[in-house]
Amino acid sequence: MISNGPLAGLRVADFTIHAAGPFCTHVLSQLGAECIKIESRARPDAFRKPHAVYGRLTAATFDQVSANKRSIRLNLKKTEAVAIAKRIVALSDVAAESFRAGVMQRLGLDFEALSAVKPDLIMLSLSSCGQQGPDSHFAGYAPLFGAWGGLGYQSGYSDGPPIEMRHVMDHSTGYHAVVAIMAALLRRRATGSGQYIDLAAREVSSAMIGAALVQAAAGDTPQRPGNGSAQYAPHGVYRTQGDDQWLSLVIQNDAQWRELLDLLSLPADHRLREVEFSEVAGRLQQAAELDQALELLLQSRPADDWATRLQARGIPAYPSVNMQAIAENQHLQQRGSLTRVNELTGGERWAVGAPVRFSQTPAPGVYCTTPDLGEAEDYVYGELLGMSSETRQDLEAREVIY
Amino acid sequence: MSHSSPHRTAEDARPLAGFLVLERSRAPAAAYAGRLLATLGAEVILIEPRSGSVLRNAEPLIVGTNESALFAYLSAGKRSVALDLDDKQDRAQLRHWIERAQLVIDDTPLEERAPSPISEKAVAAVNPGAHFVSVLPFGAYGEQSSWRGEEINLIHASGEGYLLPNGYARALYPDRAPLRIYGPFAHYQAGCVAALSAMAALWSPCDEGQFVDVSVQDSALLCGAFALQRLGDGSLEHREGRSFRYGGVFETRTGFVQLLTLEDRQWHGLVTLLGNPGWSQDPALNDGITRSQRGDEINQQIRLWMSDQDADDIVARAQQLNVPLARYRTPFEVLSGEHEQSRGLFAPTQLQSGQMIPMLIAPYLFAETPLHTGCSVPALGSANVESTP
Repeated sequence: MISNGPLAGLRVADFTIHAAGPFCTHVLSQLGAECIKIESRARPDAFRKPHAVYGRLTAATFDQVSANKRSIRLNLKKTEAVAIAKRIVALSDVAAESFRAGVMQRLGLDFEALSAVKPDLIMLSLSSCGQQGPDSHFAGYAPLFGAWGGLGYQSGYSDGPPIEMRHVMDHSTGYHAVVAIMAALLRRRATGSGQYIDLAAREVSSAMIGAALVQAAAGDTPQRPGNGSAQYAPHGVYRTQGDDQWLSLVIQNDAQWRELLDLLSLPADHRLREVEFSEVAGRLQQAAELDQALELLLQSRPADDWATRLQARGIPAYPSVNMQAIAENQHLQQRGSLTRVNELTGGERWAVGAPVRFSQTPAPGVYCTTPDLGEAEDYVYGELLGMSSETRQDLEAREVIY
Repeated sequence: MSHSSPHRTAEDARPLAGFLVLERSRAPAAAYAGRLLATLGAEVILIEPRSGSVLRNAEPLIVGTNESALFAYLSAGKRSVALDLDDKQDRAQLRHWIERAQLVIDDTPLEERAPSPISEKAVAAVNPGAHFVSVLPFGAYGEQSSWRGEEINLIHASGEGYLLPNGYARALYPDRAPLRIYGPFAHYQAGCVAALSAMAALWSPCDEGQFVDVSVQDSALLCGAFALQRLGDGSLEHREGRSFRYGGVFETRTGFVQLLTLEDRQWHGLVTLLGNPGWSQDPALNDGITRSQRGDEINQQIRLWMSDQDADDIVARAQQLNVPLARYRTPFEVLSGEHEQSRGLFAPTQLQSGQMIPMLIAPYLFAETPLHTGCSVPALGSANVESTP
């Protein structure tokens, strides 16, 4: 067990399922926290099952957000299992769950019950709409969080429908949950007090459109900008040489515009050299024509080549990369942003490591693959809880450990 | 610990009360990190040039006053100190703040940061206990660490931009360029990573301040890690094939809705919601894999049905049947939402123009120590006088 990193020594009792909650505890584990994943054969987590609607017809052989975690089986529908869960929480700093509002209470594992066994417990309840409020019973997944919270509506082509948010919506929710947990831990250190955190994923979606909400509150009508900008032109994603190859590009000032013209080696009488494009106000006014002309010119080279040349002149540009390009990216490899991990079936693949470097307490990142169901029971039930083999066998026979 | 211990007062019970954070920001990632810490109770001081942070002019602007709505959102509750770092007196002021801070968050490009009095070395010389959180587009190390990156570059550098839009928007406009997510989404993920990492550094058993290297690209990449996982499954994701096999974005008479049924019971609820039409009674559709294979046909039927429905009505009925269905709400609808109001999501905030508006506080409630406080957007240098050492 690797136990270094800034959060070394911290233990999380992890009841979370699906993506948002598990991402939160996964990030904590990447920073060194020990994370005990409490699951059961009766209700396996999503990655242990086929998900045909996503196009996955078998269980996953690797699940990023479960990596690093220690798995135990515990059938929370049994009273004895609830008592065991409380014993694990009593040995933990943080408890995290992502069931629908009210489920933990029905199980007898709400904050009141858990803080009775661990008075300074930090508990996170992460749900689609929060634990209170008229919509708190609503069921949802990432695209629905995006829809409710406004991020989906604000995203999309200006003249098109809203777009559906995918896993990044879950994972953004998870990031915010880690922020809240860390703040609660620092307060616990200062005061000795526990904390209950009620996080609503749809409110994370709203937090992502904070500026549009300010506009709306001030009486404006926020626009859906697509790839465009009211501040910079050119600003967008442009087709380059090759099939489905695109370059993201922003010209932030007139000096960069002149650099771009120079790089493009346009003849003196080219339309883009006309004075009306020389200042940002003119370029913004003619943004559509500008984009069209630029896209034609950019098709003479590959996106990678343009990005390197433009960056050399101080212009923000980057290809629109797919995951194959990410996996082969030298810069990310130099930073150690990607890690090779083992699959449950024995193969190897890339996973994403810690998104931060600490000078003195390096984060362990991803050091362990997706756990087999119940792989850590010797550690948790044996070492931590001190259960005998006979007791565990009996609990298994009665499907408490199941 | 003399330099890095928070000064907690009895009046403010918020989690980070007593911590002092210096923020030098020009992009939304570092500013969002500061915002997260400020709403959690830390005192966050914006160190701005005398001409003001470039974020003060960042879009979107509020019509009429030309005040930046983005800056207002990112900076409400912070204090502003405007300094000329070439001026001796101003540098003394800066030193005063650095001496007292537990955290410094900085997104100055490497080549400008190194010779400045807010480099990691300069900060460590004044306050060895302070943690220095560097937030850069591509991080502080690696061959592209000096590359420039704005939001539209970074969402594409993380792989997520390439995958957008999928579903209905992609079907309508298959030849258009891939899209970003609204606003500084990639930056916000890095803001979270910077804030949580800053707090992890404070938590770590480290006597000396740490250098914390946050990259927007890395942060957004971890956020989109599922697509890399799919690559390992042998599937190179593309916005074209990324759509759900059935479900997605649908247009009703009164707006767009999002439908996603992952479980069998949700499918059966959906069939009930649709009124058990003949096509849905095919026994083969009881199998999830068959449903996915016949997704286009299912979606065609749902799209036809939806086109004649009222969005709010079917969302209410669907949720009673445990069918995950949501309305795409506008910012106005979020702002006036009964649910949001009841949860106290917004707090009165004063813009620089003087106008009072409700502003989103944070997407989480702390039961023991509520975060709510009214606050204002700081005028440039508004904390300068009181900051004189």
